[in-house]
Amino acid sequence: MLVHRRTKRGKLAIALVATAALAINVLPAQARNLYKVDGVSSSTITLGITSPLTGAAAPGYNKVPSAMQAYFNYVNDNGGVNGRKIKLIVKDDAYNPVLAKSVTNDLVLQSKVLALVGTLGTANNEATTRFVNDHGVPRLFVNTGYSGFANSKKYPTTYPLLPSYVMEAKIMGQYIKDNFAGKSVAIIYQDDDFGADALKGFATAGTKFIAKIPYASGSQADPTVVGKWIAGLMALKPDVTIMFGVSSATAAALGGSYKAGFKTQWILGSVGGDGTTIATVAGPTAVGLLYGAIGASFLPAPTDTTDPYIAQFQAINTKYNAGVVFDNNVLVGMNSAMLTVEALRAAGPVLNRATLLKAIAKSGSTFASAGFAPLGYSATSHVGYNGYWFGTYGPTGAIKPIGGSYTLYTTDSGTGAVVKATSARPAMPLKGLPNN
Amino acid sequence: MHSRRLSPRNRALLFLLIGVALLLASGFTGELRNYQGAQVAIYLIAISSIILLTGYSGQISLGHGAIMAIGGYGAALSFTLWNFPFEIALLFGVLVGTLGGFVLGVAAARLSGPYLAGTTLALAVGLPSIADQFHVLGGEQGLNFDIGDPPHWLVRLEGSDFTQYKWFFWISTVVALIALWAITNLLHSSYGRNWRAGRNNAVAAGLAGINVARGKVLAFTVSSALASLAGALFALLLGLVTPTAFPLSLSFAIVTGAVLAGVGNLAGSIVGGVVLVAIPEISGALTTHFGDSQKVSANLPGFVMSALLILVVLFMPNGLRIRRFKSKKTL
Amino acid sequence: MFIDTLLIGISSGAIYSLMALALVLVWRSTRVVNFAQSGQAVLSTYIGYEIGVSTHNYWISLPLAILAGAILGSLIDLLFMRLLIGRAKAGPIAEIAPVIATLGLLGLIQSLIGLIWGNAFLHYASPLSGKGFTFGSHTIPFSPQNLFIVVASAAVLAIFGAIFKYTDLGLALRAASFQPEIAQLAGVRVSRVRNIGWAFAGSAGAVAGAVITPTSTLSPNSLDLLFVSGFIAAVIGGLDSLVGAVIGGMVLGVGFSFILQYIGGSVTFLVGFIILMVVLLIRPRGIFGHKVSRRA
Repeated sequence: MLVHRRTKRGKLAIALVATAALAINVLPAQARNLYKVDGVSSSTITLGITSPLTGAAAPGYNKVPSAMQAYFNYVNDNGGVNGRKIKLIVKDDAYNPVLAKSVTNDLVLQSKVLALVGTLGTANNEATTRFVNDHGVPRLFVNTGYSGFANSKKYPTTYPLLPSYVMEAKIMGQYIKDNFAGKSVAIIYQDDDFGADALKGFATAGTKFIAKIPYASGSQADPTVVGKWIAGLMALKPDVTIMFGVSSATAAALGGSYKAGFKTQWILGSVGGDGTTIATVAGPTAVGLLYGAIGASFLPAPTDTTDPYIAQFQAINTKYNAGVVFDNNVLVGMNSAMLTVEALRAAGPVLNRATLLKAIAKSGSTFASAGFAPLGYSATSHVGYNGYWFGTYGPTGAIKPIGGSYTLYTTDSGTGAVVKATSARPAMPLKGLPNN
Repeated sequence: MHSRRLSPRNRALLFLLIGVALLLASGFTGELRNYQGAQVAIYLIAISSIILLTGYSGQISLGHGAIMAIGGYGAALSFTLWNFPFEIALLFGVLVGTLGGFVLGVAAARLSGPYLAGTTLALAVGLPSIADQFHVLGGEQGLNFDIGDPPHWLVRLEGSDFTQYKWFFWISTVVALIALWAITNLLHSSYGRNWRAGRNNAVAAGLAGINVARGKVLAFTVSSALASLAGALFALLLGLVTPTAFPLSLSFAIVTGAVLAGVGNLAGSIVGGVVLVAIPEISGALTTHFGDSQKVSANLPGFVMSALLILVVLFMPNGLRIRRFKSKKTL
Repeated sequence: MFIDTLLIGISSGAIYSLMALALVLVWRSTRVVNFAQSGQAVLSTYIGYEIGVSTHNYWISLPLAILAGAILGSLIDLLFMRLLIGRAKAGPIAEIAPVIATLGLLGLIQSLIGLIWGNAFLHYASPLSGKGFTFGSHTIPFSPQNLFIVVASAAVLAIFGAIFKYTDLGLALRAASFQPEIAQLAGVRVSRVRNIGWAFAGSAGAVAGAVITPTSTLSPNSLDLLFVSGFIAAVIGGLDSLVGAVIGGMVLGVGFSFILQYIGGSVTFLVGFIILMVVLLIRPRGIFGHKVSRRA
């Protein structure tokens, strides 16, 4: 009898505890307060970023958030934005969309960020799109080249930064046509929207491949998988091989080629072309494998100290991000952070999600940045950068523009032609501090 | 025999009561807790599948994440390719997963202990990557979709702030409660008793007229039905299925949750579910406390979870509960 | 092409054999499947990495990593496994308690590594070339490092096999794992012998980690998939059999290599699962597994 009652009570107790646990979360901040703005207080602007800090995609990319933070600290030390200091909350998503979704929930609903900046990965951004749209959260300078994100109807609050992979592939295809006519071309590409976008671009450019080797994202960590790519290539002996994958895949391909004695003219996609990342993944000797490869970028080479932006960012990096080697990832981070500050300034003294979005649409194309072409943002376009220059890698993994000067080729994600850019880059504001 | 449990009628009432209470509570807890509550509900179903399989039938599976994947992909495919309404897609996912589980169960019935563990482990690692071979499954990037807004009549009833996350919470809670109620009944029936008899001493059970092998297959099948239900819910709520959504660590996580619950204790599964969702949250808070370094934020949740698991196995092997499990009085 | 595939298969098979060996060693001496094996192995490798970085000498770091592996294995047995086996004896938890506990230990070790070294991919350098041997104009995908892997695995197998078969220690190990009470009556110090078994297993895992990591990268999770393959190999060969572990490892390695070459990378583990299922359906205790006599 006693046992009977205890069990019944026990079960009821569990049920009550479960209910209470959920009901107890009536946090004051959850109540709707029309006069309070998410992420903006009198002293602080709170922003959020999700990025792979761990996992297969982490090498290289895990440097971007801390680089952004370093730049924001620099700006904070120099007055901030309209008197407010910027705070960046960084969350790891391990390049996993499931995790990206839950940490984005946390950023928006719990940390109450004003906006998301520099979020990385096509699949990750796709997973959080519905939520971001529902809440009108600005998603700025998204760090992925998937062309779909520029669709302003489907992604009203999303502003991608990078030139799309379609653009990059078209420009690369044109470059191959101009410089490698008649040679055989092969491609290794990541088997998802990233790679599919590239193939679309190459198709528009009319590039013919003697071999197309897809790889599942993450499989580049398996040496036997890589061995298979190389074996396949060696059998066909392409003159030119394009590598359209992440840095760890590039490192794997170059390393595998070295092991097998495979020689070709490598052309590396911008995503996987960072020398220091490759060195991190494959050891310092791997950098030597880059020698002679052709690479593409839309920002100045990170070793080019004659460029005012590079010089300034390197100085900021030394002071605010000590111990981190300045490379393309740090450059992208600081550049995006600079654009973010300009966007916040452009929104004016009344800062909220609506004014922020309006400001970007209105004046985004005038923002100064290290990029050689201005952002294409307008009331009707969410296209960011749209061009690339080509360079060759030296023995230490540093890239230098072919011909000595940065010649930018621009195009669109559709069927438009590839043309040389004519506009000049806006001058850098004094000391790299935006003054718009 | 004294009945130590609620009568079936009272049990049903209890579940109904809990359900109503939870749905009411969802209005006050905010969107984030609603989403997390949905996650807890999903974990609950998955954990109960392990409790049934391991706690009652004595079989070990390290691959239930793969079964979840089957349910998830089944639901996602039927939703995107054939435009099933999501309720039917859910059932379709369960159907596919149950079939898969049945096949696996037949193969597994002959295997014991570590051999079964090894087999299910191989499945957990091998199955999700099937998606890369067949493009209809979306490859590495997976399938993206959106189950849409809450139905109009509900929004009108509840108010315009009935967000999609609240809708997710309602769906998962209702489904979880129905599933749990069904399983509770099953475990308290002769099936449950036969499973436990077979687990405790297969020879004696056989002598008593219980077909242990058939019971094992049945247990595996029902357990897979539950796991694929959890997987289907998971997929529909996430709006996404990719191979990376069902990693090996998911299989480990639900076994962990079952151990935290007390592997023979169904009521404890709510504790297991809450802990699985709460640990990353708490660790996140602790991380900011410890200075927000990347090393800490990336590794602290795993550290806390592992430490908790070890402590529970060593010092509270029957789960996080106060009453001791007495293995003798289980008939 | 066939020879190349076979060579790659032999090289990876050697590594699977090492991992399988470590698992079988623990199983034979403690009847526990040690899911923390890859964690122990990778931690030993990190220690080897640190020594390698500070001394710039791979050949010094290697034996020290192996020693670290042995010590680690012994410590885990002393501090952790004793406690575990003593505690979780009753109820449905008894069978899965060791699995869960060692899984927890794995997570603990890996997150500790992350907290100390971070999650970045590190490079453990070896003086042996990673470039394949060249015969005339043809370079085969089998490098000096790969050769070293095969040689090291063979050496470990030979040493342990000899110990198990020809020494008193080996006899004691086998006795202690099958019938601990009777072995104790026969004068075997069961707990000490078990401890030695764990130390052996730890060192085997460390060898695996230290020889294979120079061919790719080092991170807290870098040996996880290797563990899964090793476990499958051990099960295929029969958890009781050292020879089975090696055969299982080679079968799996060569099998994976051919599947990869002729079908595709993403189905390797699935086919591994099928191989496993087929083997277990015919011989539920693996190819060389011993039938355990039923008690009552």
